[in-house]
Amino acid sequence: MKCAANIDARMVDEIAINLDPIQVAGRLTPEAMKAIIAWGDGYSVCDNCRKPFRLDYIQNPPLKEFHVELAEWLGMDQARTVPGARRAFQQVAGTYVEKGDPVLIGALAHYTSYLSVEIVHGVVREIPKTADNHITAEATAERIEDVIREFGKAPKLLYIDHVDYQFGNMHDVKGIAKVAHQYDVPVLYNGVYTVGVMPVNGKDLGVDFVVGSGHKSMAAPAPSGVLATTEERADEVFRTTKMTGDLTGRTFGIKEVGIIGCSLMGAPIVGLLASFPRVKARVEHFDEEMANSKIVVDALKSIEGTKILSEYPRKHTLTRVDTTGSFDVVAQTHKKRGFFLSSALGKKGITGIIPGATKIWKFNTYGMTRKQAEYVADTYLTIAEDNGLRVA
Amino acid sequence: MSQRAADALFTALFSLTDIRALLRETAPTHEFDESQKTAAAKALASVKKQIAILEEELL
Repeated sequence: MKCAANIDARMVDEIAINLDPIQVAGRLTPEAMKAIIAWGDGYSVCDNCRKPFRLDYIQNPPLKEFHVELAEWLGMDQARTVPGARRAFQQVAGTYVEKGDPVLIGALAHYTSYLSVEIVHGVVREIPKTADNHITAEATAERIEDVIREFGKAPKLLYIDHVDYQFGNMHDVKGIAKVAHQYDVPVLYNGVYTVGVMPVNGKDLGVDFVVGSGHKSMAAPAPSGVLATTEERADEVFRTTKMTGDLTGRTFGIKEVGIIGCSLMGAPIVGLLASFPRVKARVEHFDEEMANSKIVVDALKSIEGTKILSEYPRKHTLTRVDTTGSFDVVAQTHKKRGFFLSSALGKKGITGIIPGATKIWKFNTYGMTRKQAEYVADTYLTIAEDNGLRVA
Repeated sequence: MSQRAADALFTALFSLTDIRALLRETAPTHEFDESQKTAAAKALASVKKQIAILEEELL
């Protein structure tokens, strides 16, 4: 079935249970789907844009109110929307980092963190992970000292993921921020796997910037994201234009430089807005998500030869697993080789795992119902038993 | 006339979206419990009603 000339109608989540680590918490709420039907046109939200002509001042749809509520919900003073978390990284780095300046980044960070420093010609220095894949306050302190020795100054900025994308492990943001602030290093909290999924309060964590992803964890279309900060930092990171055209004398009101004026329009901002009430409610039920995660994780763990590589007990629904000693053993002799697992899952209506992966892979149970979690767990156990693996 | 047709169109699309949400939360078996059957019936009735309005207004 096609939805346009050569574009298939995508029905992944209507016909299957999706385990894709990056997709599940960005799936739209019904409210967002409906809002996009009505507001999907390019500049739709500009119908009622009046002076001072800025996105976060529009009252219909209620974007002004949304920006205020967003900041409050994140425990910060001001918030803006951005076209993806990476643009928030870029905005913050563009404010504070100059050519040759050092920036500290946790070793488990996403590549976009690194690139946001590269684009302003900064220099990345990494905070190493521990043997159990955590970024710690102790390692942060040591690396700040290393940077001071190397550059003769403290890092201009520090990025820390609350939950990293590689293991779904939770890191000691509060402890790391405390250390960083002892050296006056501003801290960027990367909440792409937490904002919209579990409660986040930037002031309680002691960070200067909170970054979230709309399309990864706030049930919004791509590209969308949020950047929130403190009153102290807002004038810097949300600075307004001072530019004047040299021939025309044109000026540009209160447009913000860091996000090149109005940042998010049409489907992304309306989807973010429409999902917001349900997103605010769902973060209060993260314990239920973890209960569903436990059902699937424990089922996998009970298959002999399987190892959970993420911290255990789990603190997040994204989990990395090693099935080299179980499903990959089957793959060695199976006629479908490594594809037997994704094929068997597909037949049972489960998708989102990289086809062919039977060694180390990741999955995310976020957004499942209890019934779906039990179905996934039972399916893995059945596939294991059908292929001669022992289940404890 | 045109406002009534536009209202009917959007209401129908929104009701279909409610059915889409039901398909997602019950995938892959789509075995509905009683409350899901009630919600589906309500959405389908709404779609039928709006289609009747569209037929009245447009044909």
